Amino acid sequence: MILIVNTTTDRTITENLHAALEQNGFSDAGADAKKEQKNKKGNNVYEIVEAGESRISPCIGCNYCWLKTPGICSIRDDYEEILKKMVHADQLWVISGTALGFMDHKGKNIYDRILPLATMYLHFKGKQMRHYRRYKQKMDFGLIYSGEAEKAYLERWNGRAALNFESRSLGVFSKEEIKEAVTCMH
Amino acid sequence: MHALIINGSPRVKKYSNTDKILEKIISGMKDSGSTGELYEISDRKQWEEIREKFYHFDHILIALPLFVECIPGLLLEFLETLPVPAKDEFAGERKVTEGSETDSAFSKKPVLSFLLQSGFAEGCQLRCGEEYLSILSGKLGCEYGGTLVKGNNFGIRLVEEKDREKMVLPYQRMGQIYGEEGNFFSEECKKFTGPEQFPGWVRVMVGLMFKTFAKKSFDKAAKEWGCTKSLKDRPYET
Ligand SMILES: Cc1cc2nc3c(=O)[nH]c(=O)nc-3n(C[C@H](O)[C@H](O)[C@H](O)COP(=O)(O)O)c2cc1C
Repeated sequence: MILIVNTTTDRTITENLHAALEQNGFSDAGADAKKEQKNKKGNNVYEIVEAGESRISPCIGCNYCWLKTPGICSIRDDYEEILKKMVHADQLWVISGTALGFMDHKGKNIYDRILPLATMYLHFKGKQMRHYRRYKQKMDFGLIYSGEAEKAYLERWNGRAALNFESRSLGVFSKEEIKEAVTCMH
Repeated sequence: MHALIINGSPRVKKYSNTDKILEKIISGMKDSGSTGELYEISDRKQWEEIREKFYHFDHILIALPLFVECIPGLLLEFLETLPVPAKDEFAGERKVTEGSETDSAFSKKPVLSFLLQSGFAEGCQLRCGEEYLSILSGKLGCEYGGTLVKGNNFGIRLVEEKDREKMVLPYQRMGQIYGEEGNFFSEECKKFTGPEQFPGWVRVMVGLMFKTFAKKSFDKAAKEWGCTKSLKDRPYET
């Protein structure tokens, strides 16, 4: 399943994405769920979460998700639903606004709050120290941004963030490059 | 030198590793005759005051934990609200034409330095975050004063007092250098990071330590925190 989280309030980005995905034979898990349950999994199914107006607080580093209530964030807000979907996702695409050359805090919070998907335990993966993934599911990372940003830096960052979860970067695209982004979703 | 010092951790002061590190930095600065004014990003009530003061300091130090390869969302949220002055608002850069001298509020561009600390121990883990900080200082209209980069700090909040002291003491010397030079460009500061990557045999040893000592100490900490589940629990698995 391809999970797309829109942290901006600009719905035209997800409308364009939706159209491009339908054109490329992907199916909307949200729409299909109403018809039939069977399409929920698989590579060509996507789900869009509009989180632009959701209540998603920043991570406060309490470490409860590792040491007190393993896998569960102590902040009970709209992020919980997203986290539950991530457990079944092969791809995570975050749509974010930008600030100071990077993604803005609403986009970054989606990644900071992802820690419940890892455990406290550590190991070396190749030459890199890593936390173990909590679930078997591997989720590759893609990023779509809206606004001015240092794209080369975002690419480096996205690659590193993906590596942390032993997954791949699917690329970084501006909102004008939706078609290119969709080609990376196959 | 009198510096504005900001703890950029979202974690409350009492539990913040950055805070324990900054205590030593500030004490080192005193050794060199410098002073600092400390604020916390974790306390939103302080944001207004930091914003007002920010561009009136010649030296600013932002100390922060690495959060997913870059800066924490909460710190980013704060920085997004800074009133970045236009280039020509700094007196040092302003072309003053005779008779039309505007009263600039700012004397000159602040030198913005960073202290980036993280959980993972090897220097290579922090380089992506470090690159952003060099970009960020420009975006904020500041002169870049370099970044002191150091990993292996996860345990500061978890260990006993005397071990904590051992972990943070080396930062005192870094504070002294910062107090003297107002930046982190010296060789000594660069070396402070330690190895970029552990050699193979160290990785084997540390890997073993993860499976034994570290695992035990995490399990112990969890128990003390009242955890009743396995740390590998999968609450959302269906
Ligand atoms: C949400 C989150 C993300 C983190 N990401 C990283 C990371 O990418 N690399 C790393 O080495 N440490 C990472 N850490 C560990 C912290 O940088 C480290 O524990 C630091 O000492 C915390 O400082 P503080 O107590 O002042 O917040 C992360 C911690 C949290 C809570």
